[in-house]
Amino acid sequence: MNFPSKLIEDAVTAFSQLPGVGKKTALRLVLHMLQEPVEISEQFADAIVDMRKKIKFCAHCHNVSDDTICSICSGSGRDKTTVCVVESIRDIMAIENTNQYKGLYHVLGGVISPIEGVSPKDLNIDTFIQRIPKEGIKEIIMALSPTIEGDTTIFYLSRQLKDQDVKITTLARGISFGGELEYADEMTLGRSIMTRRLYDNDINKSQG
Amino acid sequence: METFSFAEKFNCFVGKNGAGKTNVLDAIYYLCMCKSYISGIDKNVVRQGQPGFRLEASFDVDEKEMQVVAKVRVRKKKVFECNREAYKRLALHIGRFPVVMIAPDDTSLAREGSEERRRFINNTLSQLDPIYLNQLIIYNRALNQRNAALKQFAEDGSFNLSLMEALNRQLLEPAAYIYQKRKEWMGQLEVLLKENYAFISNKQEAVSCRYESKLSQANFEDLLLQNLDKDRYLQRTTAGIHKDDLVFYIGDKPLKRFASQGQLKTFVLALKLAQYHLLQKNKDQFPLLLLDDIFDKLDASRVAQLLDLLSEERFGQVFLTDTHEERMKAMAEKIQHHFSIFKIENGQLKNEM
Ligand SMILES: [Zn+2]
Repeated sequence: MNFPSKLIEDAVTAFSQLPGVGKKTALRLVLHMLQEPVEISEQFADAIVDMRKKIKFCAHCHNVSDDTICSICSGSGRDKTTVCVVESIRDIMAIENTNQYKGLYHVLGGVISPIEGVSPKDLNIDTFIQRIPKEGIKEIIMALSPTIEGDTTIFYLSRQLKDQDVKITTLARGISFGGELEYADEMTLGRSIMTRRLYDNDINKSQG
Repeated sequence: METFSFAEKFNCFVGKNGAGKTNVLDAIYYLCMCKSYISGIDKNVVRQGQPGFRLEASFDVDEKEMQVVAKVRVRKKKVFECNREAYKRLALHIGRFPVVMIAPDDTSLAREGSEERRRFINNTLSQLDPIYLNQLIIYNRALNQRNAALKQFAEDGSFNLSLMEALNRQLLEPAAYIYQKRKEWMGQLEVLLKENYAFISNKQEAVSCRYESKLSQANFEDLLLQNLDKDRYLQRTTAGIHKDDLVFYIGDKPLKRFASQGQLKTFVLALKLAQYHLLQKNKDQFPLLLLDDIFDKLDASRVAQLLDLLSEERFGQVFLTDTHEERMKAMAEKIQHHFSIFKIENGQLKNEM
């Protein structure tokens, strides 16, 4: 693509770094910004820079936060003996939207996948294991994708927790064939949290 | 674009070598198995310079017509539709229209390494059991994860036993399923192999095939632990159903080393016909039988004998290719069946006889 201006070209390049945005879409967005008053562009750029520079990750659960401790961890009216383990911040937002869960979270930052070079040390696992006795956690809900990688991670975590007196549960879900974490809607997700079941890591039992 | 209207029984594509006869068979195969017989990689079957291809077929099963469309574009997810509805997963289509291909290079099944035979087993069982294919996909994914971890450990000089155990565990369930199904179905296949070999060889010698898996002697979880040092050294998983084999015997001797060229050819033909009958019996539906250029080195009496066999009621619709137009015309006149001959030239349908 040829551009009449280097400034336009740089902006198009910047936009097209975003996932799912190709050069054509990027150009459309840039031309749109050009038509708007300059203040719109200023606000847009400031919001992104502020977000990126000022955002913190909660020292307890790795959720995004404006302070050292996030609003969920510091919030009153939360059950502080239950932790829901999720892959990403997006999962927290999805579960919070159900209004069904009042416990705490822990963001792993992904799942174990040696193919993608993600090993346990790349995830927030150590901080998680330390939290359990320190905070007196009684129940852990594993809300990870129903994939081979999600399953491997749940088993790995359950192994790390085997000497601790804590109940481990998983979300109720159908037979998975390696799909993504698929929640039809908020109601389904809410229900699968409420009807969670005890995690059984003995393969021989689960096969029966 | 070419359109063919097929006869109920025999359909023969005649033409010179390289005219594109095999492509027509491969198109039929593709519509059944969601991939090419000639090359498993789609990019290799797309005509050079073209963005992709489209195949359409109308199947008649039990008087019901079903429209299947395959839309293949390079570097895009391929789409299969049945009666205008796209499949969520291709695995749901495989086995709906069973198919068996018999080709000149089939002897590689007996001559080459175990991978060829596992591919044959997987091809057969995927068509018989949709769960099998899913379990195989899960197993392969879990195996790749384990192998990637072994590699990572070797590179970092690290090791994590808990992670290894977690990765081992993912293999157990699919491996148990696959092992069980292979054992069951390969037992049935052997019976049919013996029958077919006896028939086409005029009861010359007895043949057999034996499914071999390390899982028959030991618990898979124990095997993985026993082989851990070896696996770490080699950076790959050395035991599992991905190492299974199907061993062929003629008399009580291994076929690979003791069979003559003729016996080898007869054996693989019998094996493919056994596959055909296994599918036909268990799916209650005639598979499509595709014969690629197998008459090439046979004399007229053998060709006639084979076509007689395929004329029997236990065989359904047959598609075949041959370079001898006159020979096929003569056969068509002799055989009391619907017999269409299509002449292929430069990748195009020249005329129908
Ligand atoms: Zn927090």
